Amino acid sequence: MRGLAKSMLTTLSVFMRPPVTRNYPNVHRPLPERDRAFPLLLWDKDIDEPFCTGCHACERACPVECMTVLMKDNPNHKSVGGTSSRRKIIDKFWIDYARCMRCNVCVEVCNFDAIAMNNTWSGHETAVHDRKDLVMDLPQLLALSRGGAIQEWVPVLGKANEA
Amino acid sequence: MPTHLLGLNTWLDGLVRVLLVVLLMTVTAMLLIWAERKLLGRFQARIGPQRTGPFGLLQSVADALKLIGKEDLRPRNADAWTFELGPYLVFVPIFLGFVVQPFMAGFHIRMLDLGILYFVAVSSVSIVGWVMAGWGSDNRYAMLGGLRSAAQSISYELPFVLSLLSVALLAGSLNIDDIVVGQAGVPNIVWQPLAFMIFFIAALAELNRAPFDIPVGESEVVGGPFVEYSGIRWSMFFLGEYAGLFITGVFVSAMFLGGYAWPFGLQLGIGFQLLLTALKASLLIFLVIWIRGSMPRLRIDQLMGYSWKVLLPLALAQVVVNGFVLVYGLPRIVLTIVGLAGVVFLVWVTERAVRRPRVPRPAAVALGSEAAS
Repeated sequence: MRGLAKSMLTTLSVFMRPPVTRNYPNVHRPLPERDRAFPLLLWDKDIDEPFCTGCHACERACPVECMTVLMKDNPNHKSVGGTSSRRKIIDKFWIDYARCMRCNVCVEVCNFDAIAMNNTWSGHETAVHDRKDLVMDLPQLLALSRGGAIQEWVPVLGKANEA
Repeated sequence: MPTHLLGLNTWLDGLVRVLLVVLLMTVTAMLLIWAERKLLGRFQARIGPQRTGPFGLLQSVADALKLIGKEDLRPRNADAWTFELGPYLVFVPIFLGFVVQPFMAGFHIRMLDLGILYFVAVSSVSIVGWVMAGWGSDNRYAMLGGLRSAAQSISYELPFVLSLLSVALLAGSLNIDDIVVGQAGVPNIVWQPLAFMIFFIAALAELNRAPFDIPVGESEVVGGPFVEYSGIRWSMFFLGEYAGLFITGVFVSAMFLGGYAWPFGLQLGIGFQLLLTALKASLLIFLVIWIRGSMPRLRIDQLMGYSWKVLLPLALAQVVVNGFVLVYGLPRIVLTIVGLAGVVFLVWVTERAVRRPRVPRPAAVALGSEAAS
Protein backbone atom coordinates (compact mmCIF):
# COMPACT_ATOMS: atom_id res chain seq x y z
CA MET A 1 0.00 0.00 0.00
CA ARG A 2 2.87 2.30 0.78
CA GLY A 3 4.31 1.28 -2.57
CA LEU A 4 1.04 2.12 -4.30
CA ALA A 5 0.92 5.55 -2.69
CA LYS A 6 4.52 6.13 -3.65
CA SER A 7 3.86 5.23 -7.26
CA MET A 8 0.87 7.57 -7.38
CA LEU A 9 2.96 10.41 -5.94
CA THR A 10 5.77 9.74 -8.40
CA THR A 11 3.45 9.97 -11.38
CA LEU A 12 1.86 13.09 -9.90
CA SER A 13 5.20 14.82 -9.53
CA VAL A 14 6.05 13.89 -13.13
CA PHE A 15 2.66 15.26 -14.14
CA MET A 16 3.41 18.59 -12.51
CA ARG A 17 6.75 18.99 -14.26
CA PRO A 18 6.88 20.12 -17.89
CA PRO A 19 7.38 17.27 -20.37
CA VAL A 20 10.93 16.47 -21.37
CA THR A 21 9.92 15.96 -24.98
CA ARG A 22 11.59 18.45 -27.35
CA ASN A 23 9.04 19.98 -29.66
CA TYR A 24 11.48 19.33 -32.48
CA PRO A 25 9.95 20.10 -35.86
CA ASN A 26 8.19 23.15 -34.42
CA VAL A 27 11.07 24.47 -32.35
CA HIS A 28 14.69 24.12 -33.46
CA ARG A 29 17.23 23.87 -30.69
CA PRO A 30 20.12 26.33 -31.24
CA LEU A 31 23.07 24.46 -32.66
CA PRO A 32 26.64 24.81 -31.33
CA GLU A 33 28.90 26.85 -33.60
CA ARG A 34 31.12 23.81 -34.23
CA ASP A 35 28.16 21.69 -35.29
CA ARG A 36 29.30 19.65 -38.26
CA ALA A 37 26.76 19.01 -41.01
CA PHE A 38 27.69 18.92 -44.71
CA PRO A 39 30.56 20.91 -46.28
CA LEU A 40 29.85 24.24 -47.95
CA LEU A 41 31.89 26.79 -49.89
CA LEU A 42 32.46 30.23 -48.40
CA TRP A 43 31.98 33.55 -50.13
CA ASP A 44 34.60 36.31 -50.03
CA LYS A 45 32.46 39.36 -49.40
CA ASP A 46 35.34 41.86 -49.82
CA ILE A 47 35.95 40.95 -53.45
CA ASP A 48 32.56 39.40 -54.13
CA GLU A 49 33.75 36.02 -55.37
CA PRO A 50 34.29 32.59 -53.80
CA PHE A 51 37.37 31.96 -51.68
CA CYS A 52 37.87 28.69 -53.51
CA THR A 53 40.54 28.61 -56.21
CA GLY A 54 39.71 25.12 -57.36
CA CYS A 55 43.07 23.69 -56.23
CA HIS A 56 41.69 20.12 -55.88
CA ALA A 57 43.23 19.69 -52.40
CA CYS A 58 39.88 18.72 -50.90
CA GLU A 59 38.97 16.52 -53.84
CA ARG A 60 42.19 14.57 -53.47
CA ALA A 61 41.88 14.33 -49.70
CA CYS A 62 38.23 13.26 -49.67
CA PRO A 63 38.14 9.65 -48.39
CA VAL A 64 34.78 8.88 -50.02
CA GLU A 65 35.41 10.80 -53.24
CA CYS A 66 32.23 12.81 -53.06
CA MET A 67 33.65 15.94 -54.66
CA THR A 68 34.22 17.04 -58.24
CA VAL A 69 36.17 20.27 -58.81
CA LEU A 70 36.90 22.21 -62.01
CA MET A 71 39.23 25.25 -62.08
CA LYS A 72 39.34 28.21 -64.48
CA ASP A 73 41.32 31.44 -64.98
CA ASN A 74 39.85 34.20 -62.86
CA PRO A 75 38.13 36.73 -65.17
CA ASN A 76 38.34 39.26 -62.32
CA HIS A 77 42.13 38.98 -61.82
CA LYS A 78 44.26 42.13 -61.57
CA SER A 79 46.20 41.12 -64.70
CA VAL A 80 43.05 41.52 -66.76
CA GLY A 81 41.99 44.70 -64.99
CA GLY A 82 39.95 43.13 -62.18
CA THR A 83 40.07 43.58 -58.43
CA SER A 84 40.99 40.07 -57.28
CA SER A 85 44.43 38.73 -56.50
CA ARG A 86 43.32 35.13 -57.23
CA ARG A 87 44.84 34.00 -60.52
CA LYS A 88 42.71 30.86 -60.66
CA ILE A 89 39.20 30.46 -59.38
CA ILE A 90 36.58 27.74 -59.04
CA ASP A 91 34.58 27.00 -62.19
CA LYS A 92 32.35 24.11 -61.22
CA PHE A 93 32.03 22.26 -57.94
CA TRP A 94 29.80 19.34 -57.03
CA ILE A 95 29.50 17.63 -53.67
CA ASP A 96 27.38 14.50 -53.40
CA TYR A 97 25.78 14.84 -49.94
CA ALA A 98 24.50 11.29 -50.21
CA ARG A 99 28.09 10.08 -50.28
CA CYS A 100 29.72 12.58 -47.92
CA MET A 101 30.46 11.19 -44.46
CA ARG A 102 31.06 14.58 -42.81
CA CYS A 103 34.63 13.71 -41.81
CA ASN A 104 35.87 17.34 -41.93
CA VAL A 105 39.03 16.35 -43.86
CA CYS A 106 38.25 18.77 -46.72
CA VAL A 107 38.03 21.67 -44.28
CA GLU A 108 41.35 20.74 -42.71
CA VAL A 109 43.27 20.40 -45.96
CA CYS A 110 41.93 23.60 -47.55
CA ASN A 111 44.74 26.14 -47.99
CA PHE A 112 42.38 29.09 -48.47
CA ASP A 113 39.78 28.48 -45.73
CA ALA A 114 37.34 28.29 -48.60
CA ILE A 115 35.31 25.31 -47.39
CA ALA A 116 33.51 24.89 -44.08
CA MET A 117 31.03 22.58 -42.44
CA ASN A 118 27.44 23.80 -42.42
CA ASN A 119 26.56 24.68 -38.83
CA THR A 120 22.87 25.48 -39.38
CA TRP A 121 19.78 23.29 -39.32
CA SER A 122 19.64 23.37 -43.11
CA GLY A 123 22.57 21.00 -43.08
CA HIS A 124 20.63 18.42 -41.08
CA GLU A 125 17.21 18.54 -42.68
CA THR A 126 18.23 17.42 -46.13
CA ALA A 127 15.54 14.85 -46.93
CA VAL A 128 14.72 14.70 -50.65
CA HIS A 129 12.57 12.46 -52.80
CA ASP A 130 15.32 11.63 -55.28
CA ARG A 131 18.88 10.73 -54.35
CA LYS A 132 20.14 12.79 -57.32
CA ASP A 133 18.85 15.94 -55.61
CA LEU A 134 21.57 15.50 -53.00
CA VAL A 135 24.31 16.32 -55.50
CA MET A 136 24.92 20.02 -54.84
CA ASP A 137 26.35 22.32 -57.50
CA LEU A 138 28.33 25.52 -57.04
CA PRO A 139 25.48 28.04 -56.61
CA GLN A 140 23.82 25.77 -54.05
CA LEU A 141 27.07 25.31 -52.14
CA LEU A 142 27.72 29.04 -52.03
CA ALA A 143 24.17 30.21 -51.36
CA LEU A 144 24.20 29.95 -47.54
CA SER A 145 27.52 31.70 -47.06
CA ARG A 146 26.61 34.38 -49.61
CA GLY A 147 23.33 34.99 -47.78
CA GLY A 148 25.18 35.31 -44.48
CA ALA A 149 23.52 32.32 -42.80
CA ILE A 150 26.76 30.55 -41.92
CA GLN A 151 28.41 31.70 -38.72
CA GLU A 152 32.12 31.44 -39.29
CA TRP A 153 33.83 29.52 -36.56
CA VAL A 154 36.92 31.22 -35.11
CA PRO A 155 39.30 28.81 -33.39
CA VAL A 156 39.89 29.39 -29.70
CA LEU A 157 43.62 29.80 -30.40
CA GLY A 158 42.88 32.51 -32.97
CA LYS A 159 40.66 34.31 -30.52
CA ALA A 160 43.44 34.25 -27.95
CA ASN A 161 45.91 35.73 -30.46
CA GLU A 162 43.52 38.52 -31.33
CA ALA A 163 43.11 39.53 -27.74
CA MET B 1 -44.89 11.77 -15.26
CA PRO B 2 -41.96 12.18 -17.64
CA THR B 3 -42.07 15.60 -19.21
CA HIS B 4 -41.65 16.00 -22.92
CA LEU B 5 -38.77 18.00 -24.29
CA LEU B 6 -39.76 21.18 -26.09
CA GLY B 7 -43.41 20.07 -26.10
CA LEU B 8 -42.78 17.47 -28.78
CA ASN B 9 -45.07 14.49 -29.18
CA THR B 10 -44.01 11.22 -27.62
CA TRP B 11 -42.37 9.67 -30.67
CA LEU B 12 -40.39 12.75 -31.63
CA ASP B 13 -39.44 13.23 -27.99
CA GLY B 14 -38.14 9.68 -27.85
CA LEU B 15 -36.19 10.20 -31.06
CA VAL B 16 -34.58 13.39 -29.74
CA ARG B 17 -33.59 11.62 -26.54
CA VAL B 18 -32.05 8.69 -28.41
CA LEU B 19 -30.14 11.10 -30.61
CA LEU B 20 -28.94 12.94 -27.52
CA VAL B 21 -27.63 9.70 -26.02
CA VAL B 22 -25.82 8.64 -29.17
CA LEU B 23 -24.32 12.03 -29.95
CA LEU B 24 -23.32 12.90 -26.40
CA MET B 25 -21.78 9.50 -25.79
CA THR B 26 -19.82 9.46 -29.02
CA VAL B 27 -18.48 12.98 -28.57
CA THR B 28 -17.59 12.43 -24.91
CA ALA B 29 -15.90 9.14 -25.71
CA MET B 30 -13.79 10.84 -28.38
CA LEU B 31 -12.89 13.68 -26.03
CA LEU B 32 -12.01 11.21 -23.30
CA ILE B 33 -9.70 9.29 -25.62
CA TRP B 34 -7.93 12.57 -26.36
CA ALA B 35 -7.88 13.52 -22.67
CA GLU B 36 -6.50 10.16 -21.65
CA ARG B 37 -3.73 10.30 -24.21
CA LYS B 38 -2.83 13.85 -23.20
CA LEU B 39 -2.88 13.07 -19.48
CA LEU B 40 -1.01 9.79 -19.80
CA GLY B 41 1.53 11.69 -21.84
CA ARG B 42 2.05 14.15 -19.04
CA PHE B 43 2.23 11.35 -16.47
CA GLN B 44 5.05 9.88 -18.54
CA ALA B 45 6.78 13.25 -19.12
CA ARG B 46 5.67 13.28 -22.76
CA ILE B 47 3.44 15.72 -24.61
CA GLY B 48 0.82 13.46 -26.14
CA PRO B 49 -1.03 14.13 -29.37
CA GLN B 50 -0.40 17.66 -30.62
CA ARG B 51 -0.31 17.71 -34.39
CA THR B 52 -4.00 17.23 -35.23
CA GLY B 53 -5.87 20.45 -34.61
CA PRO B 54 -5.27 22.75 -31.64
CA PHE B 55 -3.57 20.75 -28.85
CA GLY B 56 -4.25 17.61 -30.89
CA LEU B 57 -7.95 17.88 -30.13
CA LEU B 58 -8.90 16.31 -33.45
CA GLN B 59 -6.76 13.22 -32.80
CA SER B 60 -9.81 11.06 -32.11
CA VAL B 61 -11.49 12.30 -35.28
CA ALA B 62 -8.41 11.37 -37.28
CA ASP B 63 -8.32 7.95 -35.61
CA ALA B 64 -12.01 7.41 -36.23
CA LEU B 65 -11.65 8.27 -39.92
CA LYS B 66 -8.70 5.93 -40.22
CA LEU B 67 -10.56 3.11 -38.49
CA ILE B 68 -13.65 3.57 -40.66
CA GLY B 69 -11.42 3.38 -43.72
CA LYS B 70 -9.86 0.10 -42.64
CA GLU B 71 -10.99 -3.28 -43.87
CA ASP B 72 -13.42 -5.06 -41.57
CA LEU B 73 -11.68 -8.41 -41.41
CA ARG B 74 -13.21 -11.63 -40.18
CA PRO B 75 -11.06 -14.73 -39.67
CA ARG B 76 -12.15 -17.68 -41.80
CA ASN B 77 -12.78 -19.92 -38.78
CA ALA B 78 -14.61 -17.28 -36.79
CA ASP B 79 -18.18 -17.88 -35.73
CA ALA B 80 -19.78 -15.29 -38.02
CA TRP B 81 -22.76 -14.20 -35.94
CA THR B 82 -20.99 -14.24 -32.59
CA PHE B 83 -17.98 -12.43 -33.98
CA GLU B 84 -19.92 -9.71 -35.74
CA LEU B 85 -22.42 -9.06 -32.99
CA GLY B 86 -19.95 -9.08 -30.09
CA PRO B 87 -18.90 -5.40 -30.36
CA TYR B 88 -22.51 -4.24 -30.45
CA LEU B 89 -23.25 -6.14 -27.28
CA VAL B 90 -20.31 -4.46 -25.64
CA PHE B 91 -21.23 -0.88 -26.38
CA VAL B 92 -25.03 -0.85 -26.64
CA PRO B 93 -25.56 -1.73 -22.93
CA ILE B 94 -23.16 1.02 -21.94
CA PHE B 95 -25.15 3.48 -24.02
CA LEU B 96 -28.29 2.20 -22.34
CA GLY B 97 -26.70 2.91 -18.96
CA PHE B 98 -26.48 6.57 -20.00
CA VAL B 99 -30.27 6.80 -19.98
CA VAL B 100 -30.64 7.06 -16.21
CA GLN B 101 -27.66 9.29 -15.42
CA PRO B 102 -28.60 12.45 -13.54
CA PHE B 103 -26.93 15.56 -14.95
CA MET B 104 -29.11 18.26 -13.45
CA ALA B 105 -32.33 18.61 -11.50
CA GLY B 106 -35.38 17.65 -13.48
CA PHE B 107 -33.63 16.50 -16.62
CA HIS B 108 -32.73 12.96 -17.59
CA ILE B 109 -33.00 11.01 -20.72
CA ARG B 110 -35.42 8.97 -18.57
CA MET B 111 -35.83 8.99 -14.81
CA LEU B 112 -36.60 5.49 -13.56
CA ASP B 113 -37.81 4.62 -10.08
CA LEU B 114 -35.62 1.53 -10.19
CA GLY B 115 -32.74 3.46 -11.71
CA ILE B 116 -29.94 1.68 -9.83
CA LEU B 117 -31.35 -1.75 -10.60
CA TYR B 118 -31.69 -0.77 -14.26
CA PHE B 119 -28.15 0.56 -14.41
CA VAL B 120 -26.63 -2.50 -12.75
CA ALA B 121 -28.66 -4.90 -14.89
CA VAL B 122 -27.94 -3.16 -18.16
CA SER B 123 -24.27 -2.48 -17.61
CA SER B 124 -23.50 -6.11 -16.83
CA VAL B 125 -24.92 -7.26 -20.17
CA SER B 126 -21.75 -6.15 -21.87
CA ILE B 127 -19.94 -9.15 -20.32
CA VAL B 128 -21.88 -11.24 -22.83
CA GLY B 129 -20.42 -9.15 -25.61
CA TRP B 130 -16.88 -9.68 -24.31
CA VAL B 131 -17.34 -13.41 -24.08
CA MET B 132 -18.93 -13.50 -27.54
CA ALA B 133 -16.04 -11.54 -28.99
CA GLY B 134 -13.58 -13.86 -27.28
CA TRP B 135 -15.32 -17.06 -28.32
CA GLY B 136 -16.32 -15.98 -31.82
CA SER B 137 -12.80 -14.97 -32.84
CA ASP B 138 -11.61 -18.59 -32.72
CA ASN B 139 -8.33 -17.42 -31.27
CA ARG B 140 -6.80 -18.72 -28.06
CA TYR B 141 -5.71 -15.33 -26.82
CA ALA B 142 -9.12 -13.87 -27.56
CA MET B 143 -10.86 -16.71 -25.74
CA LEU B 144 -8.57 -16.44 -22.73
CA GLY B 145 -9.26 -12.72 -22.65
CA GLY B 146 -13.00 -13.24 -22.95
CA LEU B 147 -13.02 -15.80 -20.14
CA ARG B 148 -10.89 -13.58 -17.93
CA SER B 149 -13.25 -10.73 -18.64
CA ALA B 150 -16.24 -12.84 -17.67
CA ALA B 151 -14.60 -14.08 -14.47
CA GLN B 152 -13.51 -10.59 -13.49
CA SER B 153 -16.79 -8.87 -14.28
CA ILE B 154 -18.87 -11.47 -12.48
CA SER B 155 -16.64 -11.35 -9.39
CA TYR B 156 -16.59 -7.60 -9.17
CA GLU B 157 -20.28 -7.30 -9.92
CA LEU B 158 -20.98 -8.47 -6.35
CA PRO B 159 -19.06 -5.84 -4.34
CA PHE B 160 -20.19 -3.31 -6.96
CA VAL B 161 -23.86 -4.07 -6.37
CA LEU B 162 -23.53 -4.51 -2.61
CA SER B 163 -21.87 -1.14 -2.14
CA LEU B 164 -24.62 0.43 -4.23
CA LEU B 165 -27.12 -1.41 -2.07
CA SER B 166 -25.72 0.14 1.08
CA VAL B 167 -26.13 3.59 -0.45
CA ALA B 168 -29.65 2.79 -1.55
CA LEU B 169 -30.44 1.52 1.97
CA LEU B 170 -29.32 4.79 3.40
CA ALA B 171 -31.30 6.87 0.93
CA GLY B 172 -34.32 4.56 1.13
CA SER B 173 -34.72 4.64 -2.63
CA LEU B 174 -33.47 3.06 -5.84
CA ASN B 175 -34.22 6.20 -7.81
CA ILE B 176 -30.92 7.87 -8.69
CA ASP B 177 -32.51 11.30 -8.68
CA ASP B 178 -33.88 10.79 -5.16
CA ILE B 179 -30.46 9.70 -3.97
CA VAL B 180 -28.85 12.82 -5.41
CA VAL B 181 -31.49 15.11 -3.94
CA GLY B 182 -31.05 13.39 -0.57
CA GLN B 183 -27.38 14.40 -0.60
CA ALA B 184 -28.11 18.12 -0.77
CA GLY B 185 -26.78 18.51 2.78
CA VAL B 186 -24.02 15.95 3.16
CA PRO B 187 -22.71 13.73 0.35
CA ASN B 188 -22.87 9.98 0.83
CA ILE B 189 -19.10 9.61 0.87
CA VAL B 190 -19.14 11.05 4.41
CA TRP B 191 -21.51 8.34 5.63
CA GLN B 192 -20.18 5.56 3.44
CA PRO B 193 -16.42 5.96 2.88
CA LEU B 194 -15.90 2.21 2.78
CA ALA B 195 -18.69 1.66 0.27
CA PHE B 196 -17.18 4.42 -1.85
CA MET B 197 -13.78 2.76 -1.89
CA ILE B 198 -15.22 -0.65 -2.66
CA PHE B 199 -17.44 0.79 -5.35
CA PHE B 200 -14.58 2.69 -6.94
CA ILE B 201 -12.30 -0.35 -7.01
CA ALA B 202 -15.06 -2.56 -8.35
CA ALA B 203 -15.93 0.03 -10.98
CA LEU B 204 -12.30 0.06 -12.13
CA ALA B 205 -12.53 -3.70 -12.53
CA GLU B 206 -15.89 -3.50 -14.31
CA LEU B 207 -14.40 -1.03 -16.77
CA ASN B 208 -11.35 -3.24 -17.34
CA ARG B 209 -9.17 -0.29 -16.41
CA ALA B 210 -5.67 -0.54 -14.99
CA PRO B 211 -4.71 -2.12 -12.64
CA PHE B 212 -7.53 -4.52 -13.50
CA ASP B 213 -6.98 -4.55 -17.27
CA ILE B 214 -6.22 -8.27 -17.21
CA PRO B 215 -8.67 -9.24 -20.00
CA VAL B 216 -7.02 -6.87 -22.45
CA GLY B 217 -3.44 -7.12 -21.17
CA GLU B 218 -1.21 -6.68 -24.19
CA SER B 219 1.74 -8.46 -22.64
CA GLU B 220 -0.27 -11.53 -21.62
CA VAL B 221 -3.15 -12.05 -24.03
CA VAL B 222 -2.08 -9.61 -26.80
CA GLY B 223 -5.18 -7.48 -26.39
CA GLY B 224 -7.61 -10.21 -25.36
CA PRO B 225 -10.91 -10.24 -27.24
CA PHE B 226 -9.74 -7.46 -29.56
CA VAL B 227 -7.06 -9.57 -31.25
CA GLU B 228 -8.99 -10.46 -34.38
CA TYR B 229 -10.96 -7.24 -34.71
CA SER B 230 -10.08 -4.38 -36.99
CA GLY B 231 -11.56 -1.18 -38.29
CA ILE B 232 -14.96 -0.05 -37.14
CA ARG B 233 -15.72 -3.07 -34.94
CA TRP B 234 -12.48 -2.62 -33.06
CA SER B 235 -13.27 1.03 -32.51
CA MET B 236 -16.65 0.03 -31.03
CA PHE B 237 -14.89 -1.66 -28.12
CA PHE B 238 -13.02 1.53 -27.40
CA LEU B 239 -16.10 3.65 -27.81
CA GLY B 240 -17.71 1.38 -25.24
CA GLU B 241 -14.74 1.54 -22.90
CA TYR B 242 -14.54 5.32 -22.82
CA ALA B 243 -18.31 5.79 -22.77
CA GLY B 244 -18.27 3.45 -19.77
CA LEU B 245 -15.56 5.53 -18.14
CA PHE B 246 -17.67 8.67 -18.57
CA ILE B 247 -20.84 7.03 -17.29
CA THR B 248 -19.04 5.60 -14.29
CA GLY B 249 -17.66 9.05 -13.50
CA VAL B 250 -21.12 10.57 -13.57
CA PHE B 251 -22.65 7.66 -11.68
CA VAL B 252 -20.09 7.69 -8.86
CA SER B 253 -20.42 11.43 -8.51
CA ALA B 254 -24.21 11.01 -8.27
CA MET B 255 -24.06 8.11 -5.81
CA PHE B 256 -21.33 9.27 -3.47
CA LEU B 257 -20.26 12.83 -4.18
CA GLY B 258 -23.68 14.45 -4.20
CA GLY B 259 -24.05 14.84 -7.96
CA TYR B 260 -25.55 18.20 -8.85
CA ALA B 261 -27.03 18.77 -5.38
CA TRP B 262 -23.94 19.13 -3.22
CA PRO B 263 -22.41 21.53 -2.07
CA PHE B 264 -24.57 24.33 -3.51
CA GLY B 265 -28.03 22.87 -2.95
CA LEU B 266 -30.84 22.44 -5.40
CA GLN B 267 -31.44 26.14 -6.02
CA LEU B 268 -28.37 26.41 -8.23
CA GLY B 269 -29.00 27.35 -11.86
CA ILE B 270 -29.44 24.47 -14.29
CA GLY B 271 -26.28 25.27 -16.22
CA PHE B 272 -24.19 25.38 -13.05
CA GLN B 273 -25.62 22.04 -11.95
CA LEU B 274 -24.46 20.57 -15.25
CA LEU B 275 -21.02 22.10 -14.70
CA LEU B 276 -20.87 20.73 -11.17
CA THR B 277 -21.68 17.23 -12.36
CA ALA B 278 -19.13 17.54 -15.15
CA LEU B 279 -16.49 18.76 -12.72
CA LYS B 280 -17.01 15.89 -10.29
CA ALA B 281 -17.05 13.35 -13.11
CA SER B 282 -13.88 14.87 -14.58
CA LEU B 283 -12.09 14.63 -11.24
CA LEU B 284 -13.00 10.96 -10.96
CA ILE B 285 -11.93 10.28 -14.54
CA PHE B 286 -8.67 12.08 -13.84
CA LEU B 287 -8.18 9.81 -10.84
CA VAL B 288 -8.83 6.73 -12.99
CA ILE B 289 -6.31 7.87 -15.59
CA TRP B 290 -3.83 8.75 -12.85
CA ILE B 291 -4.17 5.24 -11.46
CA ARG B 292 -3.67 3.83 -14.93
CA GLY B 293 -0.47 5.82 -15.21
CA SER B 294 0.85 4.53 -11.88
CA MET B 295 -0.17 0.95 -11.21
CA PRO B 296 1.16 -2.29 -12.62
CA ARG B 297 -1.32 -4.93 -13.73
CA LEU B 298 -2.53 -7.50 -11.18
CA ARG B 299 -2.18 -11.25 -11.60
CA ILE B 300 -5.43 -13.09 -12.27
CA ASP B 301 -5.35 -14.97 -8.93
CA GLN B 302 -4.65 -11.74 -7.03
CA LEU B 303 -7.54 -10.14 -8.85
CA MET B 304 -10.05 -12.86 -8.03
CA GLY B 305 -8.77 -13.25 -4.48
CA TYR B 306 -9.05 -9.53 -3.82
CA SER B 307 -12.66 -9.49 -4.94
CA TRP B 308 -13.88 -12.60 -3.14
CA LYS B 309 -11.76 -12.54 0.00
CA VAL B 310 -11.53 -8.81 0.71
CA LEU B 311 -14.05 -6.64 -1.08
CA LEU B 312 -17.07 -8.90 -0.93
CA PRO B 313 -16.99 -9.58 2.87
CA LEU B 314 -16.37 -5.91 3.58
CA ALA B 315 -19.24 -4.86 1.32
CA LEU B 316 -21.51 -7.38 3.03
CA ALA B 317 -20.44 -6.10 6.44
CA GLN B 318 -21.21 -2.56 5.32
CA VAL B 319 -24.74 -3.59 4.31
CA VAL B 320 -25.25 -5.29 7.69
CA VAL B 321 -23.99 -2.25 9.59
CA ASN B 322 -26.28 -0.01 7.56
CA GLY B 323 -29.19 -2.29 8.41
CA PHE B 324 -28.43 -2.09 12.15
CA VAL B 325 -28.07 1.66 12.08
CA LEU B 326 -31.32 2.12 10.20
CA VAL B 327 -33.37 -0.39 12.16
CA TYR B 328 -32.25 0.74 15.62
CA GLY B 329 -32.16 4.42 14.67
CA LEU B 330 -28.53 4.90 15.72
CA PRO B 331 -26.95 8.29 14.95
CA ARG B 332 -25.43 8.48 11.48
CA ILE B 333 -22.01 9.38 12.82
CA VAL B 334 -21.72 5.68 13.72
CA LEU B 335 -21.75 4.96 9.98
CA THR B 336 -18.89 7.35 9.37
CA ILE B 337 -16.80 5.88 12.17
CA VAL B 338 -17.47 2.29 11.13
CA GLY B 339 -16.84 3.22 7.51
CA LEU B 340 -13.51 4.88 8.25
CA ALA B 341 -12.51 1.89 10.37
CA GLY B 342 -13.44 -0.27 7.39
CA VAL B 343 -11.26 1.84 5.08
CA VAL B 344 -8.33 1.48 7.47
CA PHE B 345 -8.94 -2.27 7.58
CA LEU B 346 -9.10 -2.44 3.78
CA VAL B 347 -5.83 -0.55 3.47
CA TRP B 348 -4.22 -2.79 6.09
CA VAL B 349 -5.38 -5.97 4.37
CA THR B 350 -4.13 -4.71 1.03
CA GLU B 351 -0.80 -3.72 2.57
CA ARG B 352 -0.47 -7.18 4.13
CA ALA B 353 -1.30 -8.86 0.82
CA VAL B 354 1.23 -6.72 -1.02
CA ARG B 355 4.00 -7.40 1.50
CA ARG B 356 3.43 -11.14 1.81
CA PRO B 357 6.22 -13.01 0.01
CA ARG B 358 4.98 -15.09 -2.88
CA VAL B 359 5.19 -18.77 -1.97
CA PRO B 360 4.59 -21.12 -4.88
CA ARG B 361 2.04 -23.82 -4.15
CA PRO B 362 3.43 -27.38 -3.72
CA ALA B 363 1.71 -28.55 -6.92
CA ALA B 364 3.34 -25.79 -8.88
CA VAL B 365 6.72 -26.65 -7.38
CA ALA B 366 6.29 -30.29 -8.35
CA LEU B 367 5.32 -29.33 -11.90
CA GLY B 368 8.30 -27.03 -12.11
CA SER B 369 10.75 -29.75 -11.06
CA GLU B 370 9.15 -32.19 -13.52
CA ALA B 371 9.63 -29.71 -16.29
CA ALA B 372 13.23 -29.20 -15.24
CA SER B 373 14.11 -32.90 -15.18
